[in-house]
Amino acid sequence: MNKVMSNKLVLALYVLPALCLLLGIVYVPIVYTGIYGLMEWDGISDMQFIGLDNYVKLLNDSSFWNSAKHSMYFALLSTASLFPYLLVAVLLTGNIRGVNVFRKIYLLPMLLSSVAIAQLWLKVYHPTSGILNTFLEWLGVEQTPSWLADPSIVLGALFIPILWQYAGFYILIYYAALRNIPASIVEAARIDGANAWQIAFRIKIPLISEIIKVTVVLAVVGSLKYFDLIYIMTDGGPNEASEVMASYMYHKAFRAFDFGYGSAVGFFLLLICLVATWIIRKLTATKDKIQYS
Amino acid sequence: MKSNNGLALGRGHTQKPASPTSRNWKGAVGKLILYLLLTVAAIAQLFPLVWLFLFSLKNNQEIFNLPPLALPEQIRWENYVKVWTTGDIGLYFFNSIVVTAFSVVLTIVLASFVTFAITRMRWKLQPLVLGLFMVGLMIPLHATLIPLFIWFERMGLIDSLVSIILTYTAFNLPITIMILLGFYYALPREIEEAAIIDGCSVNRMFLRIILPMTSSVMVTAAIINMIYNWNEFVFVNTFISSDSLKTLTVGVQNFVGQYSIDWGAIGATLMISILPILAAFLIMSERIVEGIAAGSVKG
Amino acid sequence: MNRKSMAVLMLIAALAWVLAACGGGNSSTGANGNTSQQNGGNEQAGNEQSSSEQNEAEQVELHMMHLWPEGTTLAQYNLVNQIVDEFEQDHSNVTVNIEVLDNEQYKNKLKVLSASNKLPDIGFTWAAGFMEPYVKGGEFANLNELLDGDLKDLFVGGTTEAYSFDGNTYALPVELNIVPFYYNKAIFEENGIEVPESYEDLKNVIQTLNDNGVTPFTLGGKDAWTASFWYMYLAERLGGPELLDEAVASSTFTQSELVEAASYLQELVDMNAFIKGFNGLSNDEAKAEFLNGNVAMFLMGTWEVPNYTTNEEIPQEFRDNVGFFKFPVIDGGKGGLDDWVGGPGVGMFVSENSEHPEEAKQFAAHFVKRWGELSVTEAGVIPATKVDTATIDLPQMYIDLLNELNVANKVTLYLDVQMKPVAAEEHYNLVQALLGKAVTPEQFAQQQEDVMKEGN
Repeated sequence: MNKVMSNKLVLALYVLPALCLLLGIVYVPIVYTGIYGLMEWDGISDMQFIGLDNYVKLLNDSSFWNSAKHSMYFALLSTASLFPYLLVAVLLTGNIRGVNVFRKIYLLPMLLSSVAIAQLWLKVYHPTSGILNTFLEWLGVEQTPSWLADPSIVLGALFIPILWQYAGFYILIYYAALRNIPASIVEAARIDGANAWQIAFRIKIPLISEIIKVTVVLAVVGSLKYFDLIYIMTDGGPNEASEVMASYMYHKAFRAFDFGYGSAVGFFLLLICLVATWIIRKLTATKDKIQYS
Repeated sequence: MKSNNGLALGRGHTQKPASPTSRNWKGAVGKLILYLLLTVAAIAQLFPLVWLFLFSLKNNQEIFNLPPLALPEQIRWENYVKVWTTGDIGLYFFNSIVVTAFSVVLTIVLASFVTFAITRMRWKLQPLVLGLFMVGLMIPLHATLIPLFIWFERMGLIDSLVSIILTYTAFNLPITIMILLGFYYALPREIEEAAIIDGCSVNRMFLRIILPMTSSVMVTAAIINMIYNWNEFVFVNTFISSDSLKTLTVGVQNFVGQYSIDWGAIGATLMISILPILAAFLIMSERIVEGIAAGSVKG
Repeated sequence: MNRKSMAVLMLIAALAWVLAACGGGNSSTGANGNTSQQNGGNEQAGNEQSSSEQNEAEQVELHMMHLWPEGTTLAQYNLVNQIVDEFEQDHSNVTVNIEVLDNEQYKNKLKVLSASNKLPDIGFTWAAGFMEPYVKGGEFANLNELLDGDLKDLFVGGTTEAYSFDGNTYALPVELNIVPFYYNKAIFEENGIEVPESYEDLKNVIQTLNDNGVTPFTLGGKDAWTASFWYMYLAERLGGPELLDEAVASSTFTQSELVEAASYLQELVDMNAFIKGFNGLSNDEAKAEFLNGNVAMFLMGTWEVPNYTTNEEIPQEFRDNVGFFKFPVIDGGKGGLDDWVGGPGVGMFVSENSEHPEEAKQFAAHFVKRWGELSVTEAGVIPATKVDTATIDLPQMYIDLLNELNVANKVTLYLDVQMKPVAAEEHYNLVQALLGKAVTPEQFAQQQEDVMKEGN
């Protein structure tokens, strides 16, 4: 058994193609980015080695920490939003009619590109003719907010479409995981007299805890490096009120022509993601893996 | 232990109720709340496509002036005509399909191999390789853009769909493996033990026994990959310069001009760009259910 | 190894091979790509070899990038193609390969290309601060010989200066714009107001419109360069035509007029001069409010003029109702009515690393000349080369604006273009902050100066 399952040739065949691709296309460039972070470079003229100057500058850059704060805020909200997703997935596994229709509808926003989603929500938030303010006016609100222009609410306003965009993704993952639980386990619990609520919370959810951990990591890391909608909808504005780490990196490298510094921001972002993952892993570590037996 | 709460899930009725009428009444309210919650969520999720469709039938003035769900006086199908006749949308369409299809297949195949090796086989470097893939998930795509461009250029792969497919595959491997991992861990070990005692080789066991068992999660992963690849924009835009190799999302950007934006045409382009992925999604989505059903019969 | 798994691997290998073959466009590059993976730098040598094989024909291929996609700027797109066709007919050995990108993507791609020394032979750049790193990095070719020869006296005075560094010119402007106020005559009539002649008049107009529930100005503050026009005009009208140029040149931004201009702008915000939520609106969203007749006035570049004259997509009734006026003078200020904010838009550059510099320069000269002859009439674009209004047939608004250009006292180049990229980025943030009242006028000026000083 052990011999068969550690066949070197088979291992190489299974692992090497994907590994080479990952190293060549993801790791080699990021190492280069790390090197560029040590340079003074506008992306055009010759590079100059300046050691850790860019990183020192980064640690003292209040604009960067401002964007980092926003990214962390997104990460916390995204993690919190996993609970309702899980709840919906549990509801879907209940014996209801039309479950397939619901499941498909939930995933629909995920099919749209960020460009389309951004256009939709720009229209929803439009200060005068947006559907949201039109609705609020109809309710009798006199001073309707300028959702994307007001620094105090812009982050919240940006979070809603992100929540909406990814809902179907997480619901699908949870749903598939829940459906993969052997029916015998659920049936055994039922015979023991557990009600539906107990089955959901004491049996089903603990059984997919590995998947839940995975989604927490995905949500946190995804939020920390989130870029698309923010870039299109507010471009980090007004006055950096919605700037996040990835958009800050992009602005530095591609707008301000400070590619050395932009690379340093990108590399630092990677470090933050790693630390965040490590913390999540530590916090959620269990002594032994749950096994179906 | 036997107290019922409102949320009657599944085959809860088979329990012994305290009194049949109150049980049914509670169950009915529970169902009602359940459906209500699911329906509200569904409306919120469905709204955009309806809006996008209406938006694609209007001109600029109507989009900005009329309420979002109002129909224009005159339905402007000419937006669609315009999109089809100016620019090579058919070609972009074809390129998007080629890129998406090849990258999805390549990603799923490679990721399945790796996940199997990581979860089922025994080797020393296993934690390191797993770590490499998981760290790959953290890497912000925009930070790799310029080094990647230079790298592809040296390999002579710039302005070629190969560079796009390889990039999509590499960047999607971590998430795909992550999705597969949980399911592979959950597969009972008895199966492979039995297979090996029967004299089955690793390859045979993987391809004939394990892989078919993961078909549902493979479809899930494929859908997610497909959506990512179909909508990706930054890489295509940077690596492809020939018009004949551009994909649909970049084609959409052809309608965004220097000083003005033709919103109706963008809406029509988006509608056209969604249709294939929508169709593929609806077809493959059925497969997930089938996969799960087939799996649970055996389990 | 088992047969089934062998078959799968074969399939993957086959897929990869097919991809390599069809992706490369022609089969030889596909093969090249595979071998160069092992041999590192060999690829370039291979390219040179293949070009020397075809030496007898002296076929020259030029790569050109521009930013006028067919979907939205059809007239410019066609005009470029027409000029390229003409050139190819005159020079049978030259083929020009055109790549089209939209504005934002164009900028990004240019940046990425330059980082790997792969700029197209011919392309377009913005002036001053934007192009400075490219010039310093030796990416753009010096075009002095063209300006002293073929193109002598062709350009409107002062337009090529924006593309010059130390007396050398690195790009040839193809557009020239100024920024007037456009106004909706129907709204003015309904509210019984006249075109303002002084700044006080302008404030009265704002007051009257607000009293009548009409939004005076639309503004897309998310695209902060549009808000910058406002700041620039106020600074110019208060401090005179040289104020902003000197501020950028000396990297000081705390002159009293510059601070005062900032407080004038905040006063306008307090008067509700601008559309609700302007800091969250893009220029396109803001523009639509004007085109829909919801808003009385719009301060924007002359690239908008086709929308008010020839663009058939806009209702005739609306187009007939649009007029323009100049930013009024401020009592006691040093700026005059004929001082404009504006400047050349994009200019054509030739890559210093072009393999065919002669052909590329010839093409650039040909392009700029023909563009100057055709762009107003064919595409509604005001070129940076001289236009004789007497000999061409144009809508009245064009003629009026071209005549304004002829008598202009000074055109101050857009601040964000004048500044270096880092300072320009900060300028966008600060203008948004100023309009959102997140900074005081003093802080605005001080922070702008800090960034400008840092950049030196």
